[in-house]
Amino acid sequence: MEKSGSIDSLGSKRSSSRQPSVDSLSSSSTSRSDRSAQIKAHSSESTSTEFSPERVKPKAAAKHIPRESDKQEPQLLPNETVQDVAKDVTYFCPFGGALRGTVIVTNYRLFFKCMDREPAFVLDLPLAVLSRVEKIGNASTRGDVSYGMVCKDMRNLRFAHKHMDDTLRKSIFEVLMKFAFPVSNGLQIFALQYGQVFPENGWKVYDALTEYKRQGIPNESWRITKVNDHYELCDTYPSTLAVPVNIPDEEIRRVAAFRAKGRIPVLSWIHPESQATITRCSQPMVGVNGKRSKEDEKYLQSIMDANAQSHKLFIFDARPSVNAAANKVYLKGGGYESEDAYQNAELVFLDIHNIHVMRESLRKLKDVVYPNIEDSHWLSNLESTHWLEHIKLIMAGALRIADKVESGKTSVVVHCSDGWDRTCQLTSLAMLMLDGYYRTIRGFEVLLEKEWLSFGHRFQTRIGHGDKNHTDADRSPVFIQFIDCVWQLTRQFPAAFEFNEYFLVTILDHLYSCLFGTFLCNSEQHRMKEDIPKKTVSLWSYVNSQVEDFTNPLYVNYSNHVLFPVVSLRHLELWVGYYIRWNPRMRPQEPVHQRYKELLAKRAELQRRVEELQREVTNRSASSSSERAGSPTRSITPVQTFI
Amino acid sequence: HRLSIFDRQPFRLYIFPKYYYIFVIANKLCKVFFFFYCMQHVLFPGEIVVNEVNFVRKCINNENGHDDLWGKLICTNFKVSFIPQEDPPKQNAHLSHLLLAEHDVALTCLDQVVTVNDAKGKKKVLGSNQKLKFNPTELILYCKDLRIIRFCFDEAGPESAKKVCLAIAHYAHPADLHLLFGFEYQGRRYHEPANRGEGLSQAKLPQTPVYDCPSDWDREIKRTGATEWRVCSINERYNVSQSLPEYIVVPASLADQDLRQFANCYSDNRIPLWCWNHPNGSALVRMCNVADPIAQKKFEQRIFNAITKSHPTCSEVIKLDLEKSLPNILDIQSAFCKFRQSCVIDPFEESEERWFSCIENSRWLEYVRAFLKQSAEIVFLMEVKSVSVVITEEEDRDLNCAVSSLVQLMLDPHYRSLSGFQSLVQKEWVMAGHRFLDRCNHLKRNDKEECPLFLLFLDCVWQMINQYPAAFEFTETYLTVLSDSMWIPVHGTFLFNSCLQRTQHLTEFAKTKAIPPGEDQSVYFPPVWEWSQQFSAKEQTLFNNPMYVGKSVARVQNGEVKTFKRTKKAYSASVKGSPASVVNGLRDGEGTLSRRVSFMSELKPEFSSVKDVVESPSERFFRDWFSRPFDQQGLLLPLLLPSHIAVWKLFFLRWVPEACIPKGGTVTAYHKLCQLVDEIEMLQCQLKHYKGPSPCITPEPSPCKPHSVQRRMYFNACSADESPSLPDFLTSSFPFTPVGNLCRRSTLGTPITKFLNGAKIWLSTETLNDTV
Repeated sequence: MEKSGSIDSLGSKRSSSRQPSVDSLSSSSTSRSDRSAQIKAHSSESTSTEFSPERVKPKAAAKHIPRESDKQEPQLLPNETVQDVAKDVTYFCPFGGALRGTVIVTNYRLFFKCMDREPAFVLDLPLAVLSRVEKIGNASTRGDVSYGMVCKDMRNLRFAHKHMDDTLRKSIFEVLMKFAFPVSNGLQIFALQYGQVFPENGWKVYDALTEYKRQGIPNESWRITKVNDHYELCDTYPSTLAVPVNIPDEEIRRVAAFRAKGRIPVLSWIHPESQATITRCSQPMVGVNGKRSKEDEKYLQSIMDANAQSHKLFIFDARPSVNAAANKVYLKGGGYESEDAYQNAELVFLDIHNIHVMRESLRKLKDVVYPNIEDSHWLSNLESTHWLEHIKLIMAGALRIADKVESGKTSVVVHCSDGWDRTCQLTSLAMLMLDGYYRTIRGFEVLLEKEWLSFGHRFQTRIGHGDKNHTDADRSPVFIQFIDCVWQLTRQFPAAFEFNEYFLVTILDHLYSCLFGTFLCNSEQHRMKEDIPKKTVSLWSYVNSQVEDFTNPLYVNYSNHVLFPVVSLRHLELWVGYYIRWNPRMRPQEPVHQRYKELLAKRAELQRRVEELQREVTNRSASSSSERAGSPTRSITPVQTFI
Repeated sequence: HRLSIFDRQPFRLYIFPKYYYIFVIANKLCKVFFFFYCMQHVLFPGEIVVNEVNFVRKCINNENGHDDLWGKLICTNFKVSFIPQEDPPKQNAHLSHLLLAEHDVALTCLDQVVTVNDAKGKKKVLGSNQKLKFNPTELILYCKDLRIIRFCFDEAGPESAKKVCLAIAHYAHPADLHLLFGFEYQGRRYHEPANRGEGLSQAKLPQTPVYDCPSDWDREIKRTGATEWRVCSINERYNVSQSLPEYIVVPASLADQDLRQFANCYSDNRIPLWCWNHPNGSALVRMCNVADPIAQKKFEQRIFNAITKSHPTCSEVIKLDLEKSLPNILDIQSAFCKFRQSCVIDPFEESEERWFSCIENSRWLEYVRAFLKQSAEIVFLMEVKSVSVVITEEEDRDLNCAVSSLVQLMLDPHYRSLSGFQSLVQKEWVMAGHRFLDRCNHLKRNDKEECPLFLLFLDCVWQMINQYPAAFEFTETYLTVLSDSMWIPVHGTFLFNSCLQRTQHLTEFAKTKAIPPGEDQSVYFPPVWEWSQQFSAKEQTLFNNPMYVGKSVARVQNGEVKTFKRTKKAYSASVKGSPASVVNGLRDGEGTLSRRVSFMSELKPEFSSVKDVVESPSERFFRDWFSRPFDQQGLLLPLLLPSHIAVWKLFFLRWVPEACIPKGGTVTAYHKLCQLVDEIEMLQCQLKHYKGPSPCITPEPSPCKPHSVQRRMYFNACSADESPSLPDFLTSSFPFTPVGNLCRRSTLGTPITKFLNGAKIWLSTETLNDTV
């Protein structure tokens, strides 16, 4: 996040937007000042506020809302209702010490406000971000009850209040637990109640046929099949699939039997010139005995044949080779393609670890960065989390895929075990490197809808929406890692992406918030069954209704610009704007974007004045010599208006 | 073939329209008169060829070596030059230097000259006047600007190869300062009638004050409003101190007589030096430690009293011993060596594994942070506490230089302009007597004195630029080029230990070379600030930061031109809270603190177990400052969490081919910003044109002709019909290019690897010498 706002700060004067440069053309500037356009409108400059997705209300609505600091209560969303209010609660801010104030719990959020401070201190977060809430402390402590909360977004909170004399009355935090974990308590997730209407319907952003058409599919080698129309071939795949032209649907069913969970190789992306493709699937069920499937072998051969440029096919197995081999024995007879069975195919292991290793790595990272960064050993502490090493391996894998397709003009098949975690990371990153379309805001939305949501990344399971079972071994930050990789790419190519850092942070915030339906459920089938697109609002409705907030002003759409990042720890950085954003000392850097927008405004102003003067001069010359008065605009020199 | 390359890259025509033709002509000349061309055009006045060898192969990064260049290796008294037989496609990205071609290295820039015999498995680090018992098959040059260059002699005559190696090593270790090429070069230029006038009429030359006359100091006193301070000339002709400049600034209440008396108790009679005055009246003063404790008691109090008297509210004086909080010369040198080892010497893939811990173990970033932190503390004292600060150090010639300049950069926007920054370096480093000669080890006599303190300072400045990209007029390219200039001995800035030494050497040289005495008795040795010595006007535009928010620039708002800088009042009003606080700090500082304490005491005991941050007043001030909007033209504080301090990639990784991001890096943003600013400046130019003397008389004003004027931005706006394209040469190393530098990928697994890995060449010269 390139801006503040997210700061748990105490007693500091924090205006919601940095207004750094004295020459800003504030009145005419369209600058979002980052995301503060509407924050400015209704939150006072004297309120330090933590990030809250509540800000997603359309701008118009924000206009007549009174200043937040004048009010004791949060701005409620449509269908948001207050469940409980408690005064005299202490919040232990890890950066500024204890604060006493009022807590409000709604069916969507936790709101804390301390008026003792100047400016008032506010904590405002969606309940869905809580991963674990626990009562701490013991009875011996003279009548105080203390609650600790672990959040999914890299912070912990701690509150305390007086012990209730009235034992019948529930603590506000008991109420909170009920609404924080609606799934475990038989309640509805808030996204199903949130009724905000946006000018655009984000559920229409992605249409599989349109996207395949954009890529030129169907063509002479690839066709669209309806074999999975009712999800009977594979319940974790989308209904629309692109497969090689010469494989009939019956054979596809036999291939599905040989691939784990029926996740057959299907097209993700095709190179517009060389026709080299990226296809994705799950592991083959070879087992210990090295079972073969001639349909599967033929299928891969067709994938290779579809690309006339190369007589080779690369199979990228995301796993470390040891793990892949272990899959043969221990796990349901999985494994990897043997090069004997698959002629002309070369198998490459990418050594990316599994979800459990990644979860552990992020946990360690949180220990290192929250709440405070130790003054010494920062880098070796960071190294010990291995987080950036994992990021490096994922990016290195994606780079190899992109390089094979672009430079080698060779088709690639990507899989891991089930093909819904590491495979998503790899195909979507490689596609970002190869295809500039996915680097636009809409293109990125399409990429997520396609490679992650439709192909069944199990968001519900990996994030655990509304589920109190925080120790669930299926939870894992796979998607966070992917967004981190994207951020790394934006750092290496600051002008190649239409979206900014705030866009990425917003996606991650709403990954947890359960305000939008986008990241609910585990698969397309699941979402259809639950009627999610009808019952909830898409995150893209919100994003696309105020695209400007998420736009990178430096973006240039260079044609045919393939990104080859340097995947080295020398260039990988910890994403401080996300992982360390709660630390008030982590002031975001003075954004280059801000300055660029100011310069844009300045240019517009100068252009206007030049045109004015030209008109004036023309008019004068026209009146002074009326006989040669042509069109009054005759002499206006066109002014460069491109960027 | 060559032309076809240009055909493929039409953008180049746009960027260097003039150079393109020159280049084509030069190429043709090259082909026909290759030999003569080189001999006649590469040598500068005073430059002579010492030795040369033909059929040398320069190793270029490539697995199979088929990109390697064949050519002639020449050693002159200025540089090591490699002239390729076939001109390779010229690197568009290469920052072209007027004195050094792409493959040239100045002798002063050589750190180690290593010869290797591959077959015999022998290697030797060559010093001056040494013998070499084997015929070298390879020569590896380790350069002070972090390049590593490798030549192979597989086709060259073994004896001539040996001779060139010995010559290079010999000339890289000059016995005397006068033998550095700059003396001969500038001395000859002095003789040339065309240059002579230029040399004498200094008035038109440096815009940067060099502080060698009282008026430069006077101006600085006036600019900072230091009314109670005066210029003192007791050190004229270096009568008092050998390391101080001739003119210094002292408290107005101290008479020359007193100063002479005090001087005795300081080492080398270094009287405390005034550096800068805060608008609130507090002064920054630097001095060396007093050796004699009795004298210290006696005089120090009087000096401090005088400093107090010079403060408008006679506030106290705080003395800070920097040696207590900062690393010493040896620490810094050792940190740099380790850091360099990880960045450029260790094989890329190997060092990748433990990159973060290697960086941490080197302690370089830790030291960068320590200097910034120490300086920020002093800023707090001056800005908030309004007290004068005296920084002390044993000799006042190392740490004080870095800290005093950093403090001034943070407090005074003047020094964030290009000329202001140059004057700062001139004032706090050159004139204050930083031993550049010893610290750079130009004569390679005493490794123990060598220390990249100035580079450490530049790294600190870079950290500030990285955090506040719009606050500085200059770019990181400028800082890098400035650092590289230390190793090109044609300007006098980085060659001497003190002003006195400079004067003595130049006078002596003029005498021995019978240079006719001009107005002053010495050779005119221009400062590095005369950048036209090294770079064309076009190349110099790489120094300009397009984002810079300067104070004098007018801004446009609602059709009115307003001055850029906000008044203090307007600024404060925009920040909620009491305006006075912003200026004088301590805004409710005490109040808030006591309130905080009382609040804490109310807490239940079990809650106090929650880790509470204990903040010092300065930390609180920093935190407060960070939470407010700031003025680019006001106080700037560095962010100091360990996670804020980054590796200066352009400087440390620019020559590493593996670390180079093709078509990426911050330069892609710079490119875009430059184009936009160029467009803005053209519009401004157009406006000026309309507002010219009589716009009504000119009925059809033509838009200003962009090509007739030197534009301020390196990248110019493209015309509307061009589709945006990203020049191929934009890499994260821009404007430097790692091509031609040793790439470890190419050496992995070959015999040379063991020399590179095992030797740790840069660290242990002596042990290596024994191995022969």
